[in-house]
Amino acid sequence: MKRPLQTALLTLTALALLASTGQARTWADIKKSGTIKIATEGAFPPFNVLKGKELTGFEVELANELAKSLGLKVQWVTQPFDNLLIGLKSDRYDFVIASHGITPERARAVDFANPHYCTGGAIVTKPGGPMTAAALSGKSVAVQVGTTYLENVRKVSGVKDVKTFPKDTDAQAALMAGRADAWVGDKFTGIELVKAQKGKVVQGALLFNERIGMAVNKGNASLLKELNAALTKSLSDGSYAKLSGKYFGQDVRCKS
Amino acid sequence: MTKPATTPRQQPMGGGTLLLWFGGAAAAFLLLFLLITIILRQLPDPIGLRADLFVEGARMTLMLTLVSGVIGLILGVVAGIQKTSALWWVRLPASIFIWLVRGTPLLVQILFVYNAVPPLLKSIGIDLELNEFWSAVVALSLNVGAYNAEVIRAGILAIPPGQGEAARSLGLNGAQTMSTVVLPQALRIVVPPLVNNLVALLKDSSLASSIALLELTLAGSRVSSESFEPIPVLTTIAAVYLALTTVMTLFTDQLEKRVKVGSR
Repeated sequence: MKRPLQTALLTLTALALLASTGQARTWADIKKSGTIKIATEGAFPPFNVLKGKELTGFEVELANELAKSLGLKVQWVTQPFDNLLIGLKSDRYDFVIASHGITPERARAVDFANPHYCTGGAIVTKPGGPMTAAALSGKSVAVQVGTTYLENVRKVSGVKDVKTFPKDTDAQAALMAGRADAWVGDKFTGIELVKAQKGKVVQGALLFNERIGMAVNKGNASLLKELNAALTKSLSDGSYAKLSGKYFGQDVRCKS
Repeated sequence: MTKPATTPRQQPMGGGTLLLWFGGAAAAFLLLFLLITIILRQLPDPIGLRADLFVEGARMTLMLTLVSGVIGLILGVVAGIQKTSALWWVRLPASIFIWLVRGTPLLVQILFVYNAVPPLLKSIGIDLELNEFWSAVVALSLNVGAYNAEVIRAGILAIPPGQGEAARSLGLNGAQTMSTVVLPQALRIVVPPLVNNLVALLKDSSLASSIALLELTLAGSRVSSESFEPIPVLTTIAAVYLALTTVMTLFTDQLEKRVKVGSR
């Protein structure tokens, strides 16, 4: 019993060592190349969404502005959500802007920039469905895999079944098809869904609040500093407010 | 239990041995799950803490494989015999079924059964909504059934036509010829490729993760997206799949040995 276990552990360690040889591009490297590689999901309206071939949304436009003020060209990469931070850790791109709620678990794996908006996880259901955390008891809830919504729905006691889908849009489809009693996701995305479905779904209570931040690879302090500086500038010179007004009709920056 | 293959005259598998074989396989899988649980719990973070999730996923994967495998075998035998028929209207439905299933990707089939079939049925007045498990079972068993059908057809065609002619000249009718002369021989030929399909089915069941069925692959992707450590997670998933297929082939090898006896 002892032997195979040790072999397995050794193999895992060896593989882990092999994998961690990559090196994140520092600010100097990026500046020299003139192009920054940014990753997002592209399936999270209105923040990042692919409309046909065009990648757009609040976060996409914001990141484009930040890159512009840093004097860089942008190369976009889209990836499944649960793959984004893993890809960041293996340096497939320089930073990720994909509505990542800042959590202690994630902060152990990557470094977060200052939050670029504040939001919450909201319940969306069909009329007559569960509207509060207490009402979720005995119900089935659809969420996207690898999200803070999954973690927080797990904390709600009495939920009968948490179904995890690869994409948020799949989880919403499960709600629409009646395969789940509720969907839990971002409150702004929820508002969009309610609008798009014209009364077939309604938004319930917030399950939790969260701060959303861009992520860079652990220890890439020089890039993090530049991103924070660009974000601060955008927040103060009115360009952020303009963009936020365009997408939400309000300023979504974190108040405190 | 099993005598060496050199024994000249072994009886083909009887009811008793078959029961023993099933019992053995069931016991072996139970033991395997126990072993997986113990080993995974020993492993460091992020595997050890979530060992039970992996085991639950592995159990679901095995369930999917067994249920779809059995339905797929029945489907395959029926469609395979249909395809060897001399009557075109018997052949046609089987041919269309195989054409459709073999010509489209399994992932699309799973998504189709899960997302597209319920509204289609609703539009013709049937209110049937399969849950994740049964959606996956329908798609997987149709898929493996089509491949099995071709295997079984090949097995039937491999029996020399003289066998059938001899049976007919002895006064057996078509159905009797098929069930007592051709099929028993054909089944011996097709066991290895059928086993191949079963092993492929076990691995293909990973595609059911796309419809939120918590099997081994989705269990793994949950863990890897929480811990951001793909290497230990993917290695664990691969190892568990390997363990499952290894135990499975251990027993199907026995089956192959036993059914071979009569033809020697």
